[in-house]
Amino acid sequence: MRLARRLPRRLLALPLLACALVPGLALAAQVKGRVVGVEKLLNPVWNEAKELSAHRFTFREPSPTVRSDLRNLTAYAPKEVCIAAIAEGAQPPPTLPLLVTVGGGRTTPVTLVVAAGTRVHFENRDPFPHRLYGVGQASFSPGDTASLASRDWTPPGPGRYEVRDELAPSLRAWIVVEPLVAAVAYPARDGSFTFANLAAGKYTLRGYFAGNPVGAPRAVEVGAGNLEVKDALALTEAAPAPPDKAAPGKAGKKHEGGN
Amino acid sequence: MVLSRFWYLVLALALGASAYLLFVATAVHNREALRAAREGLQPDVQVVASYLRDDARRRSSLLIAPSLDEEIRSQVAKSSAAADKVPAEARDKARSALRKQGEAMPADGRFDALFAVDAAGRVVAQTGFDQAAGLEGFELGGYPLVADALHGWVRDDAWVLGGRIYRVVARPIELEAGALPAGAIVGARIVDDTFARELSRRTSAAVGFYAAGKRVASGAPESFDTGQLDFITNDLAAVERDPAYKDKGLTDVRVLHGDLAVIYARLPGEAWDLGAGFAVARLAHLSASPLEFESQKTEADKAAVPMGPLGAVAAALALIGLLFSVLEHTRPLHAFRSEVLRLAKGEIEQLTASRFRGVYRKIASDLNDGIEKVAAKGGGARRADLEQVLGPIPTQPAMSAFAFPGAADASSDVAATSATTPSAPRPLPVAPPPPPMRALEPTPIASSISSSAPPPPRPVPPRPPGRAEEADVEPSTQPLPEEMAEWLGVFDEFVRVKQQCSEPTEGLTFEKFQVTLRKNRDALVQKHACRRVKFTVYVKEGRAALKASPVRE
Repeated sequence: MRLARRLPRRLLALPLLACALVPGLALAAQVKGRVVGVEKLLNPVWNEAKELSAHRFTFREPSPTVRSDLRNLTAYAPKEVCIAAIAEGAQPPPTLPLLVTVGGGRTTPVTLVVAAGTRVHFENRDPFPHRLYGVGQASFSPGDTASLASRDWTPPGPGRYEVRDELAPSLRAWIVVEPLVAAVAYPARDGSFTFANLAAGKYTLRGYFAGNPVGAPRAVEVGAGNLEVKDALALTEAAPAPPDKAAPGKAGKKHEGGN
Repeated sequence: MVLSRFWYLVLALALGASAYLLFVATAVHNREALRAAREGLQPDVQVVASYLRDDARRRSSLLIAPSLDEEIRSQVAKSSAAADKVPAEARDKARSALRKQGEAMPADGRFDALFAVDAAGRVVAQTGFDQAAGLEGFELGGYPLVADALHGWVRDDAWVLGGRIYRVVARPIELEAGALPAGAIVGARIVDDTFARELSRRTSAAVGFYAAGKRVASGAPESFDTGQLDFITNDLAAVERDPAYKDKGLTDVRVLHGDLAVIYARLPGEAWDLGAGFAVARLAHLSASPLEFESQKTEADKAAVPMGPLGAVAAALALIGLLFSVLEHTRPLHAFRSEVLRLAKGEIEQLTASRFRGVYRKIASDLNDGIEKVAAKGGGARRADLEQVLGPIPTQPAMSAFAFPGAADASSDVAATSATTPSAPRPLPVAPPPPPMRALEPTPIASSISSSAPPPPRPVPPRPPGRAEEADVEPSTQPLPEEMAEWLGVFDEFVRVKQQCSEPTEGLTFEKFQVTLRKNRDALVQKHACRRVKFTVYVKEGRAALKASPVRE
């Protein structure tokens, strides 16, 4: 498996090491592309938290100098949108665990698409403990992870898994186990993404957000040379979260909550 | 002693009722104290919640200055533009500027930690929260509060980090109007005892904050023992199961240890989902018993007691008791003692039972009986009753109201004696000696002098025809005027005693009465050669009786 350059260095190091061990690396190519429509993807955690019924604040009001359409709680693509290159045949899991950092109220990345059998390595980067668990997963029960400590988990099989933290309600991560996934990339804030070393072959590029596939898949064929996908991948077809109620037309609406 | 006994009963009931009322009053007082505490808690919760909200707004306003700080804005913008990591230069400059801004804040509004966050959520600079100072890649971007600020919102939140509660506010750092913010400025205030005491000082409420099943901070007015707030920890498990707490984040009033009224409220923010919140408490001043009022009273309380009426009632009760005691104890005892003294001095030969009431009458009667028996054993008779003196007294058909029980069989003889009929002589001076005991026993004349229910007559021996008529019509010596007056008194006494003994008095007239007295008087005068005869009313075995005593003076 090969990961995109946008990931943190440690996160990148592990898959790169794995790629070095894969035969036929000489035939790998760089694939570049771009996604659009990220601004339509609304972060489900943040959008749930802005509802009065969530009791997450005593007051919430917009800054009048920020344009109302920008006040939508859109996803932060570098961490939350995952572009997966899905091959035609089953892919072996990486020999080294895949790093996921925990800190700042979220995991990095938030959505992860992995091959079956991939071991995920959660590392706590916060100065206080976390208590991660897999929703409905007996094999990933709540357990404390101290600051700078880690714990590993291998999802049991293909499917969509959600990871939460008993000590941080805003922390939600999704792991999608896709047996055919060959590599993943994370777009930059401008939407561009890069697969550094993708072996020659036919792939389907597909975006994932909050554990769900978004947008239309795009078929690509990687040859000996680098490839640049000309048409951007639109990620607007499936938005998991409802639109911001303070969207254009409702700008300036203040929220008050609490007891 | 009926009245006295009744009075004792009344007093006992009054005492019991008073004690009952005191305990009821204590219970009512406790209930009202608890109700007052309960009612006071609702406003307390609102006040605390309002304070937290206002405090958050005030603190968000304090973040305007750092969010507009040119150095901070520029350095955060540089960091946001850097894809890989926060530039070291931006980190240093932003930290310096942030520290200055923090120090410039008013003392009562200072934050425990300030963070400058770039658009990626990475912490560019921070003051406070030193445990994160050395962490590479430390960020806050995943928190909804920070995400909101990075999208142009100003809001507050409450975090629970490492078991501590943080009140957090954030606002965007904007480079140009209409554009997405370049970053955000975040301020955090630790909820500790200092915070709680300040909150309590401003709201006058006793408040405790809890998180992860533990009390993390508390503050209370001086009159409230903050140690009481430790009890909330033991109640948190039950609070978590409270449906109202689950749904609305607010419990009803819960009473701990009988006198501590508490309302629990979840803390808005992420703390809401982490079981963190605050408890507002009031201590109800309850009394375990009415005696505790004594130690709690004040001069004003004492002044509110109507001492005058209470004293008057107490005095009246005492007087009534004394009156009953005098009427039923002192006076009868005095009269009895006087009568006994007269008896001891020999002024009288026996006690006049009719002068006494109740048990004294019974004692007098028994005493008289005893005297008679003792006298009989001694061989003498201190006095003669009608039957002893006259022998069996005849039943007088014409005076049916005056029947002498046990004398019916001898009535004809007596009548003959009274009539002094030659054909039936009867030695008047010496009456047939009755059996000693019988002779000396008081004759229950009263039981025989009845108007409606005379005792069954004894078998009457045959007598010559017309003899009774002769006896009936035999003239008697007419009573003297003073004797008539005395007999009237005896008659009245006799009637009264009969009524007291619940004997019928219908048909009993003085005319009939005096005929009997006259005959008996004549017989006694003739027998004892006395000057006059004194009649006495007494009670014999529960019935009115009449005795005649010859007076020789």
